Amino acid sequence: MTEIIIAIVQALLLMLLAPLVSGTARWMRAKMHTRRGPSILQDYYDIAKLLKRQDVRTQHSSFVFRLMPPLYMGVLLILACGMPMITRACPIPVLGDVITIIYLLALPRFFFALAAVDSSDAYSGVGGIRELIVGVLVEPSMMLALFVAALATGTTNIGAMGEAIGSLSVTSPVAVVVAAAAFALACYVELGKLPYDVAEAEQELQEGPLAEYSGPSLAMAKASLSMKQVIVVSWFIAVFLPFGSATELTIPALALGALVFVVKVAAIFFICSIVENLVSRVRWKYMSRQTWTVVGVSVLALVFCVLGI
Amino acid sequence: MKSKTLSKKPGASHIEAVRERFPGVVKDVAWQTDDQVTVTVATDALPDVVEYLYFGRGGWLPVMIGNDERPIKGCYALYYVLSMEEEDKGWVVVRAEVDPDTLEFPSVTPRVPACVWSEREVRDMYGLRPVGLPDERRLVLPDDWPDNLYPLRKDSMDYRHRPQPARDVENYTFLSDTGDRETTVVPMGPLHITSDEPGHFRLFVEGEEIVDADYRLFYIHRGMEKVAESRLNYDAVTFLADRICGICGCAHSVAYAEAVENAQGIEVPARAQAIRALVLEVERLHSHLLNLGLVCHYCGFDTGFQHFWRVREKAMDLAELLTGHRKTYGLNLIGGVRRDILAEQKMETIRLVHELRDETRSVVDALLETPNFEGRAKGVGLLDPKIARAFSPVGPCVRGSGFARDVRFDHPFDGYKMLQDSFKARPYDGCDVLSRTLVRIDEVFDSFDMVEYLLENAPSGPILTEDWTYDPHKFALGFTEAPRGEDVHWAMVGDNQKCYRWRAKAATYSNWPVLRYMFRGNTISDAALIVGSIDPCYSCTERVTIVDVKKKTEKVLTRDQLESYCRRRTHSPLKD
Repeated sequence: MTEIIIAIVQALLLMLLAPLVSGTARWMRAKMHTRRGPSILQDYYDIAKLLKRQDVRTQHSSFVFRLMPPLYMGVLLILACGMPMITRACPIPVLGDVITIIYLLALPRFFFALAAVDSSDAYSGVGGIRELIVGVLVEPSMMLALFVAALATGTTNIGAMGEAIGSLSVTSPVAVVVAAAAFALACYVELGKLPYDVAEAEQELQEGPLAEYSGPSLAMAKASLSMKQVIVVSWFIAVFLPFGSATELTIPALALGALVFVVKVAAIFFICSIVENLVSRVRWKYMSRQTWTVVGVSVLALVFCVLGI
Repeated sequence: MKSKTLSKKPGASHIEAVRERFPGVVKDVAWQTDDQVTVTVATDALPDVVEYLYFGRGGWLPVMIGNDERPIKGCYALYYVLSMEEEDKGWVVVRAEVDPDTLEFPSVTPRVPACVWSEREVRDMYGLRPVGLPDERRLVLPDDWPDNLYPLRKDSMDYRHRPQPARDVENYTFLSDTGDRETTVVPMGPLHITSDEPGHFRLFVEGEEIVDADYRLFYIHRGMEKVAESRLNYDAVTFLADRICGICGCAHSVAYAEAVENAQGIEVPARAQAIRALVLEVERLHSHLLNLGLVCHYCGFDTGFQHFWRVREKAMDLAELLTGHRKTYGLNLIGGVRRDILAEQKMETIRLVHELRDETRSVVDALLETPNFEGRAKGVGLLDPKIARAFSPVGPCVRGSGFARDVRFDHPFDGYKMLQDSFKARPYDGCDVLSRTLVRIDEVFDSFDMVEYLLENAPSGPILTEDWTYDPHKFALGFTEAPRGEDVHWAMVGDNQKCYRWRAKAATYSNWPVLRYMFRGNTISDAALIVGSIDPCYSCTERVTIVDVKKKTEKVLTRDQLESYCRRRTHSPLKD
């Protein structure tokens, strides 16, 4: 019962706090630009404003275009229920399998791209195709890195993987560290931050797939994108950085687990923010070259794992 | 004896060569200044002569000017301006007369592609028909302009006349040369996506690759030349010329002032000349810093963008200190300048230049050290030197393709005569966006040195001369190197204290035609960066449409309504 409550609370908190995370990233960006910048609550204001606006869609778009934002958000809420955030184990174990998570993340991506093509806007279409290609380039190395972790821990449930890594009882520690590095790189690409925000590139594609959205749909899509960033970061934390999360379901342990989780998320987003503001966007042609590096690191992890070190 | 003195003048060798090669075509030769000569040729021989001077003798063609000379000479005239930049440097203007009944002349564009925009413009503005012009679409006039109304003819219309729209559909065709490849059209504009200015681009793409591109501009033609001819006195036009551009206004007003001064033979005092050059360099500073920031922005490197613009603020302070205006406006008069540089301003300028140099150095280093900046800019937007030679682009755009063209050093004017020995043009031969960016970076640092040199070495004395007489119907060229390339103005004053004809050629006018070739073979993601790398200049919009969602009404506001609302802030045009 407690697990179910934790799962629901997690999902609700994620939905409510994700704009704060993206708002803080915007504020940091402004500081690095020597701008005064918006308040960290700006993303809430934006969403509130969009919710009041009319929802317009293009003449030739179909139900897919309408379906995408609620579907995107729904899938993320399901993911949030299963993701170990403050606890070490998965609140709902059936949702904690790596294969399930990867496919659950692929579903909204597919609809995101489909809706972009469906909106019959040239820029959106290009953005949608880019989004799919990013998926094709990044997902295999993500899978491979997690596969190595699964081999080393003997389970595909991320809660159990976290448990094993957290108690430092894995069979091949070097392989896990290298896999963690590969997964971190893949997650960074997955976050859709600079230099890899190619699908929504403002200067190139006018926000790509989001270009034709407006009003509540846009609000939902924007909130979902920031939720996705938090989910991806939590995923990384759950598997490779579980230290400090609650291993038993008592109030003090959960409170400590929540505090540690917030600190870890903040630290990771801080690092991402710095990286994001020090680079220019990767040229689309060279994207695949850079993701090859990630594949290379994953393969290296696999080799270490096979060698058993 | 006479022919001996003739041959000594700059440009004389070109005239001799034309005489020798095409016997009998030269009708008249006249020097406007020491290095400007206008040669009138038979209209039939026009393409031959221009082609020979352009490709055969190292000429570049910034602009061709049309003029309605029926009241003076009974015909239309065309002036093909050629800047001779190899041996015997100078300006040779080839003049041809067009019969007012047939209105036809042989097009030079098939031989010298650089003429294409000028010939299309003459077709719009005067109704003269270039026979053989490959591209006969309108250039300047909008689609709904009546067919037989030619705004710049002396007898056509008052400058206040607003003709009824002749049609209400857009019928401009975008051209593409895509071979047999199947392409998708990606529209960019009518408002450019990242610089937020009016220009309509059509990219013909296959996947992400741009196969060809076409574009349309002049959405906001302000009719300045017509206004200058009919409404202002010739000595007020310097202030109108300021307003041609929001950034390089001073370059235009210096060019106009020079055109009149050259025509009337006015000796501008040496101190005024130095001040003009100094302010032009300050203008280059803030313009180049702006573009360097924009290049960062187009690459998605917004941190660099914001920091360049932070540093640029100081360059604007410098402009304010020297001219009283953040944008270097309102400095020039015919015969000199309005403000002197006093001792304390000199000290303050030197201090600011020192600070600016250090800060610019640090942001430029940051840009060049950004890990993937080179990956973004290198090999992108290639401008083939052959295309460049054929179309005469200007400024960092052509210097990035290996040509050391720079009016400041090719045809030194004003204070630049003092700088001849210590500075030179800065070409790079990568032909890509990176080279054009590096040219700008070098020029920024040159500008710091030039400002310091000019401050130290400016001669003292008066800054304005009024000692001259007004001589109608004389004409000449004025030219400056604006941050974006050469501005060429041609002015002829009339017998009523007004310009008879004023033609202002902005730098970007020469750079647009090559853009198409720079797009080809790149990807959509590079399009904005490529447009940005020529540092284009558009202008501001004339009218807006406001849609009220709740009332479901739509209303078009005219510029007049908006203007009056801006001034008075009452009687909102929306509230009736």
